[in-house]
Amino acid sequence: MTEPVIQLSEVHLSYRGRGLGASRVEAVRGVDMEIIAGETLGLVGESGSGKTSLGKLCLGLAKPTNGSVRFRGRAMGTARSLRGQRSLVLQHPEWALNPRLRCGASLVEPLEILGEGDRKSRSDAAAAMLQAVGLDPSIAERYPGALSGGQRQRIAIARALITKPELVVFDEAVSALDVSVQAQILNLVKRLQVEQGFASLFISHDLAATRYLCHRIAVMYRGQIVEVAPQRLFYDRPNHPYSRQLLAAIR
Amino acid sequence: MSALVEAQDLDLIYAGETGPVQALDGLDLTLGAGDTLAIVGESGSGKSTLGLAMGRLLPPEAERRSGSLTIAGTPVFEAKQEEVRRLRRETLGFVFQNPMSALDPTMRIGRQVARACGRAASENHVQGLLARAELEAPEQLVRRYPHELSGGMAQRVVIAMAIARGPALLVADEPTASLDVSIRAKVMATLLALQRESGASLVLLTHDLHLAARHCQSLAVMYAGRIVETGPSAAVLSRPGHPYTKGLLAAAAGNEAPGEALQPIPGLPPMLHKPAKDCSFAPRCPYVERRCQELRPGARLLGRKQVACHFAERLLAGDER
Amino acid sequence: MRSLTQALRRFAAGDRLAALALGVLCVMLFLGVFGPWLPLGDPTKLAAGPRLSPPSWEFPFGTDELGRSFLPRVVEGIRYTFLLASMAVAITAVLGTLLGMLAAYLGRFVDQAVARFADLLFAFPPLLAGLLVAAVAGPGALSVIAVISAATLPLFIRVIRSASLSLAERGFVIAAEVAGASTWRILIRHILPNVMSAAIVQLTYALSIAMIIESALSFLGLGEQPPRASLGTLLRVSSVYLTIAPWLVGFAGIVLSLAIVSVNLLGDGLRDRVDPLRGRPLT
Repeated sequence: MTEPVIQLSEVHLSYRGRGLGASRVEAVRGVDMEIIAGETLGLVGESGSGKTSLGKLCLGLAKPTNGSVRFRGRAMGTARSLRGQRSLVLQHPEWALNPRLRCGASLVEPLEILGEGDRKSRSDAAAAMLQAVGLDPSIAERYPGALSGGQRQRIAIARALITKPELVVFDEAVSALDVSVQAQILNLVKRLQVEQGFASLFISHDLAATRYLCHRIAVMYRGQIVEVAPQRLFYDRPNHPYSRQLLAAIR
Repeated sequence: MSALVEAQDLDLIYAGETGPVQALDGLDLTLGAGDTLAIVGESGSGKSTLGLAMGRLLPPEAERRSGSLTIAGTPVFEAKQEEVRRLRRETLGFVFQNPMSALDPTMRIGRQVARACGRAASENHVQGLLARAELEAPEQLVRRYPHELSGGMAQRVVIAMAIARGPALLVADEPTASLDVSIRAKVMATLLALQRESGASLVLLTHDLHLAARHCQSLAVMYAGRIVETGPSAAVLSRPGHPYTKGLLAAAAGNEAPGEALQPIPGLPPMLHKPAKDCSFAPRCPYVERRCQELRPGARLLGRKQVACHFAERLLAGDER
Repeated sequence: MRSLTQALRRFAAGDRLAALALGVLCVMLFLGVFGPWLPLGDPTKLAAGPRLSPPSWEFPFGTDELGRSFLPRVVEGIRYTFLLASMAVAITAVLGTLLGMLAAYLGRFVDQAVARFADLLFAFPPLLAGLLVAAVAGPGALSVIAVISAATLPLFIRVIRSASLSLAERGFVIAAEVAGASTWRILIRHILPNVMSAAIVQLTYALSIAMIIESALSFLGLGEQPPRASLGTLLRVSSVYLTIAPWLVGFAGIVLSLAIVSVNLLGDGLRDRVDPLRGRPLT
């Protein structure tokens, strides 16, 4: 029985709301969740349901107010101590890359932070990664401003995978892309996961894309996971009324 | 009965630093009173340009090269300033993607809606309008500021303002794209209810094929600045005539069988710098033949659809076999 | 280098006024730097001509109360004004950018502390502060620099902090954090290069404020002391003779105004290039 890459037990997360006299916001209320290597867990729900907060917990960007988050069986350390082992792909391709750095420089940054290898090995890794995501290695010399949204998102994915992390979190990573580009990226992520074997959390409001990509899907509503079911079920008939509502929206 | 919106061979460019960018390339469009038309296109297709052009709201670097656009009898590009303003006030209503940038953050809702109504802006009228847009407790809402509203509520206010003067044409550019998924359907329903009630026509610009089909009678698919397929929504979606439409349907998640792979359209949409002499989709088309690269396809009538493809009949017949 | 000339050309084509301003400033800087070696006259030679004589071929700007040619004095004044203002602004820019970035990125206590500090500085009217500083430390260049710094620091802090706040939310910054980048790395590699343009725009505005403060303090006698004379000092000395030799105040005043207006126009031009929030007329 493989130990899960990431495991949440009875996790709560609350924070102080914004504005004068705002009460505490309970973003996550008692969630149990785990993902094993090579598996993609989809996380769907409306905004405010807590899915982004859950993503932050998995990455160590937020600490739970209760409960535990375990990465590879151990308590979650700081981002620095776990560097290279987790990564993230976000929604907006226009801000995915530092506009002042050449794509290649952005791409090798996680390797630089890791401190392993030398310049040559890093640039070789970058070239290999670019090819893996279907881009010409010469794109490393260009600046993000010259690239399309789809290309930038591919580079963001390449950057996320260059250190061969164990966990990748995708937060609305395809939501801002055109239909055809979205299909390309979804297929790409599928293939790369088979090749590299990382565990992945795919956060999205789009059930159609999630259903296509994920092995299991967790539905989140008001800070709690109301249903977790295998992919197939979401093609046929999910149980929870909220899940059914989400499904109806894509028919 | 003359059409409410009539675009003929519309050719529009944006003057750029490295040369002109062809935004609309010989676009033809017809819309009658009370019709609902969805214009579906990906980024760069020109659909937002078309939406803005209807109100002559384009930035200064946009230039209409040739062709015409007539709304309610008024030639949009030739009309004088005062005529265009009147057109915007009385005949058009716009709903854009981001409600927060459409509302003045420093003005209370009541006052903004009153201004949209023009002269007949009594408190009751304003509240009545907000109620029609299915907003709760309008008497409290009028005192609030935009930032106190949720996205959905703000968009409903925008919709209320758009229909305030009973326009003949509503233009909605991705009206629900920045709203929460759970309320999108409801906000669309409100928009359509108000459209039906007032007898206005609706042009819905979106990249979401299924949203388009669900809410609009007619559907037009836009690619590289022109309309490549148009017809009744159900007909276009169930039996697409143009290879691009087919490609979009094959690439869109949601209707695939479990285990079936999505088929993205290879390549990227072109960025044109002058009107295309051939078919703009040819480089990406799986059915491309010599003729596609030499001659631009005109719109061919296929049943109730119009398809701009040289081989439309053949392809449709092939599908049916 | 080629991209710089290309950028300059595009800049000039886009905003004629700003390009003109840039030209004027370049001329002034040239004069300021190379003035002593140009055949403009000797600013120190006493009784080179009759005292307080009006402009003539020999003395294009006339002569001052000690018979010195006024033109080279004005050129020297340009040099001192720019020198003082630039040094002060340079120090402030570095300090203000650093504080702004730290305040935004580290948040909470650091942010509060920096914000209060900026408010404190902002609350002091520069001239009163100048009097205070001069009273304590004596008049002269250092006092002027201190006052200019205090007056322009809040400007940088606020703008850079605001720019850094929005940057801190961007995907590439969060990705770097998740990858384990140190705070320092994020600030230097990701935040700083992207707030640079905002900083440069503020630099030009700060420069014009600096020149105004410098001139005002010098006019009050708290700045550069004779024989070193900035434009403000010249104004001070010349104002006494306003009724009998108005050209002195005239030339010094016009040159100073031209310098400040040019810097402002340049700042506007830069801001228009950098900040895409341009209003546009409805066609």
